[in-house]
Amino acid sequence: MSQFFNQYFNFDVMREHFGEVLVGFLQNLLVFAVAAVLALALGLFLALLRQLPGKKLMPIRFLTIAYIDFFRAVPILIIILMISGGVPFLSFLPQEVRIPHWFGRPDPFWYGVAALVIVYGAFSAEVYRAGIEAVPRGQMEAARSLGMSHFQAMRHVVVPQGVTKIPAPMLNELISLLKDTTLVSVIALSESVLVSREVLSERLNSSSLTLTAIFFVIIILPLARVVDKLIARQQLKVTRGSHIEVA
Amino acid sequence: MRKSRLTALFAVLLLALAAVAAAGCGGGSDTTGTSGGGGSAEGGGGGEPLTVGSDIPYPPFEQGKSPDYEGFDIELMEAIGEKIGRTPEFQDTSFETIFRDVAQGKFEAVISAATITEEREKEVAFSDPYYLSEQAILVKEGSEIGGIEDLEGKTVGAQQGTTGLELGKEKANAGELRPYPEGPDAINALKAGTVEAVIIDQPVAQNAVEEEGGIEISESVPTEESYGIALAKDNTELLKEINKGLAEVISDGTYKTIYEKWFHKEPPKQFLG
Repeated sequence: MSQFFNQYFNFDVMREHFGEVLVGFLQNLLVFAVAAVLALALGLFLALLRQLPGKKLMPIRFLTIAYIDFFRAVPILIIILMISGGVPFLSFLPQEVRIPHWFGRPDPFWYGVAALVIVYGAFSAEVYRAGIEAVPRGQMEAARSLGMSHFQAMRHVVVPQGVTKIPAPMLNELISLLKDTTLVSVIALSESVLVSREVLSERLNSSSLTLTAIFFVIIILPLARVVDKLIARQQLKVTRGSHIEVA
Repeated sequence: MRKSRLTALFAVLLLALAAVAAAGCGGGSDTTGTSGGGGSAEGGGGGEPLTVGSDIPYPPFEQGKSPDYEGFDIELMEAIGEKIGRTPEFQDTSFETIFRDVAQGKFEAVISAATITEEREKEVAFSDPYYLSEQAILVKEGSEIGGIEDLEGKTVGAQQGTTGLELGKEKANAGELRPYPEGPDAINALKAGTVEAVIIDQPVAQNAVEEEGGIEISESVPTEESYGIALAKDNTELLKEINKGLAEVISDGTYKTIYEKWFHKEPPKQFLG
């Protein structure tokens, strides 16, 4: 038992490497922040493409659905490795795109962000779709009959109502995005897991990984509670029997 | 509705069946392989198999696909195994946890181009040295980096948990030091141009230069370190046997043959029979 505690809860190891692991964790948060903003934007864009009306725009809808289905099915790790192991060799791209060092961040940072945005864009598009499709059809029809274009109706009527229905599922996506930032360690971005593994190989002790896990729990647990609250509130609206309120 | 659900169930079952069949085939070919799995206990070359951990690939020390691993370490271990009457069975494992795993008995020995260091000797016991190590600074052909002092401010790659990474931390004032999960990952990053230099074991660098092209060794750094076979500390019996086996392999010239096969040069004096 003491062996177990020494292996996973050696406080000396945790104390001595606290600073390094924390700096690594901030790297995770930074990847998360950039990827989350871009993924939410991409997701909304994809969701809108998917809702385009008319027969002529069928190919666009089809391609969007293909994109969403594909990237929801492929493991993120594969996408990360494919971008990092392939993009630098695409000599037709300019140097600063092949090996990006934007805003002073190293290239594995941007490869990781790109992979996460590509995949989580697809996931969040599905969440947006759920929100948009939950808005009664009559809203769109009414807006159109007032003379709004499809885009105007989406922009001013449907999307504003749709997004009020999805904070809980979207927050769940963001939580898993935050956790998946650790995958970027495989392409040698010095984030918390990579730093902890380095400590592990140096000290032959897993406590640094425990410390990393604690950091994630501290951030994610409150978010998970918020999700619960949001779901409970939504439930209440339905059980009261009132029709779902409009923003 | 009901029918489509049944079809889905059928499809899932079919998939599961295919997976089982594939696993069965894998198992089948395994038993016909050289190491022979559990079968070698009864038949085989006598004695129990010796379980050996190694982080593969790390050419030219260890490379190839299971169970047909090859390389300097692998052949040396097989030669030692022959002397002590135990056939090595190799397990591919991650280098960063390899010493902990051998200390806890996940396998009996480790041969994985592992440098003997004081830090590691606290956890495991090492055999007599079987290889003198040198680190190399690997760069792209035509690079301005002439040696370790030129790494200042540069982006440098190395493998996680290795002495190359330690050397980078201590001696190279690199702008960024990137620890890659496997040695070849670091070399790929060099070829891709995402790192400007890689610090890695000399023979690995040499092998990469011969195989890949477009990269060269800018400097070899002697480290006064050597590789050893690692065992759990309390396994003194096996340690003695392995040392004896190693000495025999060196004295009868088998070591020299294996060394020349993988490194294309004569071994240092102390390893000549």
